[in-house]
Amino acid sequence: MPEAVVGGPDPLRVELEGEIQHAVEAELRDVLDQEQRERVIARLRAELAEEIQVRIARVKAELAAELLAREAPAPVRREFERFSWNFRAQHWILLTSCLTLIVTGLPLKFHEARISQLFFDLVGGVQVSTLIHRIGAVGLIAVGAYHLFYLAAFREGRRNFLKLLPQPQDVRDLFQMFRYFLGRSEERPRFGRFSYVEKFDYWAVYWGMVVMIGSGLILWFLETTLQYLPKFAADIAREAHSDEGLLATLAIIIWHFYNVHLNPEHFPMNRTFLTGKISEAEMRAHHPLEYEEILAARGLSIQAPAGAGHGEGPVRSPGPPTS
Amino acid sequence: MAMRSGRIGCLVLGGALGILLLAAAAQAMPKCLVCHGKRTLSKTLPSGRVVSLFVDEKLLAESVHAGRVCTDCHSDITAIPHKGEIQRVSCVRCHFKGNPVGAPQKDIYVEYARSVHGVAAAAGNTKAPVCQDCHGTHGIRPPKDPGSLMNKIHIPETCGRCHLAEFSDYRESVHWKAVKEGKKDSAVCTDCHGEHTIRAHTSPESSTYITRVPETCSHCHASVAVVGKYGIKTEQVATYGRSYHGVAIKFGGKTVANCASCHGVHDIRPSDDPQSAVYVENIPKTCGKCHEGANANYAKGRIHLDPTKREAGLVYWVSLFFKWLTISTMVGLVAHIGLDLFRRLRRGKVAHES
Repeated sequence: MPEAVVGGPDPLRVELEGEIQHAVEAELRDVLDQEQRERVIARLRAELAEEIQVRIARVKAELAAELLAREAPAPVRREFERFSWNFRAQHWILLTSCLTLIVTGLPLKFHEARISQLFFDLVGGVQVSTLIHRIGAVGLIAVGAYHLFYLAAFREGRRNFLKLLPQPQDVRDLFQMFRYFLGRSEERPRFGRFSYVEKFDYWAVYWGMVVMIGSGLILWFLETTLQYLPKFAADIAREAHSDEGLLATLAIIIWHFYNVHLNPEHFPMNRTFLTGKISEAEMRAHHPLEYEEILAARGLSIQAPAGAGHGEGPVRSPGPPTS
Repeated sequence: MAMRSGRIGCLVLGGALGILLLAAAAQAMPKCLVCHGKRTLSKTLPSGRVVSLFVDEKLLAESVHAGRVCTDCHSDITAIPHKGEIQRVSCVRCHFKGNPVGAPQKDIYVEYARSVHGVAAAAGNTKAPVCQDCHGTHGIRPPKDPGSLMNKIHIPETCGRCHLAEFSDYRESVHWKAVKEGKKDSAVCTDCHGEHTIRAHTSPESSTYITRVPETCSHCHASVAVVGKYGIKTEQVATYGRSYHGVAIKFGGKTVANCASCHGVHDIRPSDDPQSAVYVENIPKTCGKCHEGANANYAKGRIHLDPTKREAGLVYWVSLFFKWLTISTMVGLVAHIGLDLFRRLRRGKVAHES
């Protein structure tokens, strides 16, 4: 019987047989009566059968667990969709346009730097870089226009926009964040879908788009605009374009990159802008209010998911979240 | 061995010949003047043009070449009456770097040979000037001498003998006006075009090539020592350099304006002269050379603009606004980042200790 179930783990069998032998000999050492002897053997048989059943069950369970672990890998981790494809596509166009504009714009502003000369030599002169800059501008204008359409025409857009509107709570969150930074409080502010950091980023881009596209168009179609505007208006446009360009570049490279990618929690890259997904742990850490809202909408209890955050250790110091 | 002795022989022979020539030269001047001292001596060229062959002894005696004798330069003349065709004097016999006879130690002849004039002359253009056309012949004087053809006051005229139109334009310019008034800092032809290095303005090597004009003008117009003392602004070159025109031209733009595009070339006038291309009422027309449909709006605002100066008006305030917007925003953002990092590090430390 044991052989059939265990399927040949010889050491176990040898061990069991040895134990039977040992038990029988020990019991029989001083009992010599034939009838007694048979009773003892029967009793021992029954006891050992029980013992064997228990051991087989344990081995079975171990094997089953091992097989299960091998076939079904990680425990399922819940993820939330943070950015839809529509949103990510806009971000991609914005990203490529901005990088193009920065790369071709900064050498004009910092024309005295050696690297600017190097850049223009590389691309083949200022005419080529001007053309590339304008291609980037078309991308920026297109995504700006599409975004306005998105805000108006998609329910998702309208919902996101409402959640991006500044609220008094954002100011309170900012103060709470500083208290937390300075160690006056151990509680980070609890953010909804968009933290004040993300709202700042969004509205900074809004302001930047208005300034850059407005002044850029004046400079692009200079001869047309000078039909209606005095030259000093074009000079102001140029100054604003140049200065706001630098401010936007600094904000993107220092602020946006740090908060999204370069902070110790996400370094070197946060993948949310690629996949649109955010893990349950991050959701709980960075957007607790939104998380609770979603769970409530799904009729789930907040404590429910044991898998979330499991195996990740303590919830790490949560930085400003993804945007 | 045979070759070496041959060389030595040559040297000895050459030396002897040299001594003989020197001896002859001491005698040459009076001898030549027997004929060339006569004012009536002339020759008729095949073209029918009559060329005077009279040489004024005084001219040579007062020139930089005083002390030289006729055959020092006219070295192909060895007999009287002269035999064969008489060659033009070649100045490079003495004017080269390393010459032993006391001529300036400069390689100007090499420079000249590469210039637009030298190249044309070498190609057989008989109208192209050689040394004598600009410097004169027997009466060459140092450039500082007011009687020199190369004296600042005479250069426009010297060049103008061939470049008539440019000369007449130049005579209208503020540069010429200043030179006439004795302001030797002002520009004549050679200050912009160079001397022996003159190139066609279409050559990228030229100091008047489209992309090199700003640099050429900057030699004087960015210098307080040159134009500053006449009360002329010296920041115009820098403000141009910061304008789109200036930046684009620096990086190879060939369709943007340089100084001359607006201010004119030879007939540059002060901006308060109604005939000036940059006179306020002429600005639409001047800008219109490149910017189609330029109107009076082009004159509403400064051209040479420095946004960091208060005189830039609104642009100054916009510039100031962005400056402080950038500084305050970045200080705030960087502080936020710094505090965030500080908090993370502290938390990490606490976690580590516990």
